[in-house]
Amino acid sequence: MSQVRLWLEKGIASFKKVTKHPYFGFIVFGAIMLIALWLRTLNVLTISVINAVVLTMIYSIIALGFSLLLGYGGLASLGTAGFVGLGTFLLGYMHGKLALSLGLTLLISLGVAIVLGVIVGFISLRIEGMYLAIITLGLGEILRQFFISYETFTGGYSGTSMREFTFFGKVFVSGDGAYFPMVYLIITVLFVLAMIATINIIKSPTGRALLAMKNSDSAAQSMGISLIKYRLLAFVISTVFAVLGGFLYLMHIKFSYPPQWSLNFSLEILAAVIVGGAQSIFGIILGVFLIFGLNLAVLNYIPFFSENPALIVIFNGVLIILVVMFYPGGLIRLLQLLKIKCSLGIKRLVVKWKVYRYGKDH
Amino acid sequence: MPGADIALKEMAWIIAGLAAFYFVMDLLVFRKHPKRLDYRGRLLNVLIAAGIFAILAISVKVFTWALLFQIFLMNIVDLCILLLATTGVILIFKTSVTTNFAQGMMATFGAFFAATIVMKLTASSSVNPTLNLFIGLISGILVSFLLGLFIDVAIIRRGRYVTSVGKQMITMGLVMVIMGVIPVIFGTNPVVLPAFSIDVKTFSIGSGMYVIPVQSLYAIGITAGVLILLFSMLRFTKWGLGVRATASSEMVAGMMGVNTHVITAMSWAIAGGLGAIAAFFYAASGTQVQVASMVPVQVNAFMAAVLGSFSSFGGPLVGAFLINIFSSLAPFYNGTWQTVIVYGLILLLVLAKPLGLFGKKTAKKV
Repeated sequence: MSQVRLWLEKGIASFKKVTKHPYFGFIVFGAIMLIALWLRTLNVLTISVINAVVLTMIYSIIALGFSLLLGYGGLASLGTAGFVGLGTFLLGYMHGKLALSLGLTLLISLGVAIVLGVIVGFISLRIEGMYLAIITLGLGEILRQFFISYETFTGGYSGTSMREFTFFGKVFVSGDGAYFPMVYLIITVLFVLAMIATINIIKSPTGRALLAMKNSDSAAQSMGISLIKYRLLAFVISTVFAVLGGFLYLMHIKFSYPPQWSLNFSLEILAAVIVGGAQSIFGIILGVFLIFGLNLAVLNYIPFFSENPALIVIFNGVLIILVVMFYPGGLIRLLQLLKIKCSLGIKRLVVKWKVYRYGKDH
Repeated sequence: MPGADIALKEMAWIIAGLAAFYFVMDLLVFRKHPKRLDYRGRLLNVLIAAGIFAILAISVKVFTWALLFQIFLMNIVDLCILLLATTGVILIFKTSVTTNFAQGMMATFGAFFAATIVMKLTASSSVNPTLNLFIGLISGILVSFLLGLFIDVAIIRRGRYVTSVGKQMITMGLVMVIMGVIPVIFGTNPVVLPAFSIDVKTFSIGSGMYVIPVQSLYAIGITAGVLILLFSMLRFTKWGLGVRATASSEMVAGMMGVNTHVITAMSWAIAGGLGAIAAFFYAASGTQVQVASMVPVQVNAFMAAVLGSFSSFGGPLVGAFLINIFSSLAPFYNGTWQTVIVYGLILLLVLAKPLGLFGKKTAKKV
């Protein structure tokens, strides 16, 4: 009997060890996403809902990169849309038109992303704060204009579309039964990997250095943190995430239209990061879902909203304003507060029960 | 335009040459000099002036003075719009320390209101159309004024402890709210705002004949009147003193007895009103008023504010002038890449002078 008990205790201890591991939440989240795919094949979830899930994952990858800049580096950049757009067109041009292999396309695109990130990083060394936000906004406009004008690369106003891709020698054509699950799988895996990469960066000396820089440049420098190194690193990582997001976007939506990569998209990513909570990974996912996925997954099914589409926009705007005003740490703070309140309430109930059961402790 | 390509290449070479000269001077000549920073700043100013002068000189060579002046006259409405929008952005930045992304939307709201009033008036009575337009303009300004006031009193004031990025997000939320509210209030039918006049006026200076649209004359008159009034208020009235005090430090201004609530609320309201005039002239070309029409103007206004520096009231106006000149000349050099050329130039200028052309360096205590 005691043997069994020992095993049980050991089991519980190791279970606790596993659940306490930082990756546990992410892998469970990925698994839930896979269950969502399975539910879709059983037709439990509608297309609109699964679309919201996929978009949330794609934009979360972009937002995770962005949060490294904003939440940890304190650098507001509004050029995200340009980088995401660049990712879509790189994939569409190199893989779709030139028929390079997916791996080679990825390598070249990563190279481009790193170069761009370094350039923006160097700009950020000279220009700071609100100025940086506006200058990167200008950079985003330059990129957008570049997409519109450079027709051989992006297709100009007719846009780039991609109907098929080759993955490990297998061709996936859109409209095929295997296309969507494959894309979904790739997106989920990359999403989980991105979360793991982000938490690793945040918890490593790099993340600490970024946080130090956010609070004070000068103090960080005097502690021996190289500003140039970490700023460039933050921008490179964020650009790489954005370009990857662009890849996945083109794979899922299959179409990319140059004028769509405008300031509005960058602002929406910024809003998602702020609303959810710039310093928490699940907060960012929550924020992205609220900004991009909520109307597809929930509001469209509420008759009040689906009859008046303008109200969805108003609802989103009011949500952003309220969250920023009352929960500056993001909505995830609200959830954390709720959790604390709940555990306090449970403790109080337990005490009350004990008083009732055993009488007052004199 | 013949020779434009060659001129563009010349400009690129000149800019590259100036940049190379700067780096050579900085790295080799001033290197060990005790006053290196001082000299570097002065050299940069001289080189920027030389660069802008060279660009203008080449433009004169390609286009001749007469044509340049004509181009300037044709784009003067855009200049007025940009000046008004920039002033609105800068007023709000000064008092609330945030870039107001809702500036364009507040303005569009006013333009929609003005257009609706004008359409109602023209349909109901046959009073002269100019008067109708003026009534519409004033009512649009009033509505945007009240909207700005409401936004500050109801939202921005309550979020005093929100960071400046947070305030940006609030204005971004406002953009969404106003964007959703406009079709609810004004309906989904297209709203059209006519121009004051579609005539052109011909006049001659010296031997040259020039053409200016009469609409621009209205725009110049109203813009000049409003801006002169505003800047003299900033300079000479108690409110202006309050704005300047609040701009340098809100807390200290409050302790010195300045009613910062009134100051910020008035700044938001005036910014709304200025925006409404800008949007009115932007929309008054006989085409449909559109929800997102002010976005490019707003982006340019931000750029102008950065270029001229946020730390002064006059600098951004110079920035707006420069941007207007660049963007009116760029299409003649290269139609496809005009935006890239303009933003590239601005980017270069701001990289050279990160605090803006007229920015002062503020010392910060660590």
